[in-house]
Amino acid sequence: MSTFVDECRREWRRLGVPDSMAEEMASELEADLAEASADGVSATEVLGESDPRRFAANWASARGLVPDGPPRPRRRPHWAVFAAGVVVLLVGVILGGLLVVKGAHPTIHTQINQQTAVSAPDVVGMTELRAEATLEARGLQPAVAYVRHRPAGTVVVQVPAARTRVERGSTVLLRVGRAG
Amino acid sequence: MTVESRRSQMLRGVLDLCLLAVVMDEPAYGYEMTRRLRERGLSTVGEGSIYPLLGRLERDGLVATHRAASDGGPPRKYYNASPSGRRALAEGVRAWRDVRGEVDAVLGKVDTEVET
Repeated sequence: MSTFVDECRREWRRLGVPDSMAEEMASELEADLAEASADGVSATEVLGESDPRRFAANWASARGLVPDGPPRPRRRPHWAVFAAGVVVLLVGVILGGLLVVKGAHPTIHTQINQQTAVSAPDVVGMTELRAEATLEARGLQPAVAYVRHRPAGTVVVQVPAARTRVERGSTVLLRVGRAG
Repeated sequence: MTVESRRSQMLRGVLDLCLLAVVMDEPAYGYEMTRRLRERGLSTVGEGSIYPLLGRLERDGLVATHRAASDGGPPRKYYNASPSGRRALAEGVRAWRDVRGEVDAVLGKVDTEVET
């Protein structure tokens, strides 16, 4: 099965996984496969997967070792969400200013379509997976940023806060605690 | 839906708990964890790879890792449940028992021997 491990190494290199980490995973896998083979256990049972590229990518991405992985909205860096928020805020302020200057009817407060608005659920304290599922069930898009905070794996802060009226399909930023 | 895919779906929600449970008292390396699951009667054949699950547990700080020599073999990466891993395990097992009880209350009386 050394070809499987070699294919993994190639994939990790392609994905930009640091060499030391790739080597750690490769040697872990080689030792496990050798021992399974001595036990008479098939490599498939150990690997659970026949496609080395998919196997390698799944493992590295679960460990958070893929620097710029395939576009996944949940892993969007929090600064991108923050920047988008700033842009929206600026546009709002400019539009609001224009309306005030023109003496227009102040309809600026009804930016949210009440027909499609939902109330943001309270996900603080939930595990990451549960928070994501809860938001998705409400038609909202989770975006996760990891912060050093305990307990690891649970939501520390959410933006917008619980019970805020938001458009269906909009993004809720989750800060999830992680160790170290 | 085939029997296998339903089993996989149900296991997906608890396999990480099972991995945590086998390294709660004594550290183990990856293959050793598969072996402990098998010895306790849980086959992971056809359930995908445990490595991404281990990676996620490690990233979330639910397992701690260290390298140590194994019996006569090369040095191995050992995993064991961290204090927050123990808390997550306890919480997860409570949730599992609740769900199991609620589902059994509905399905418990169903006769599985059905004449065709």
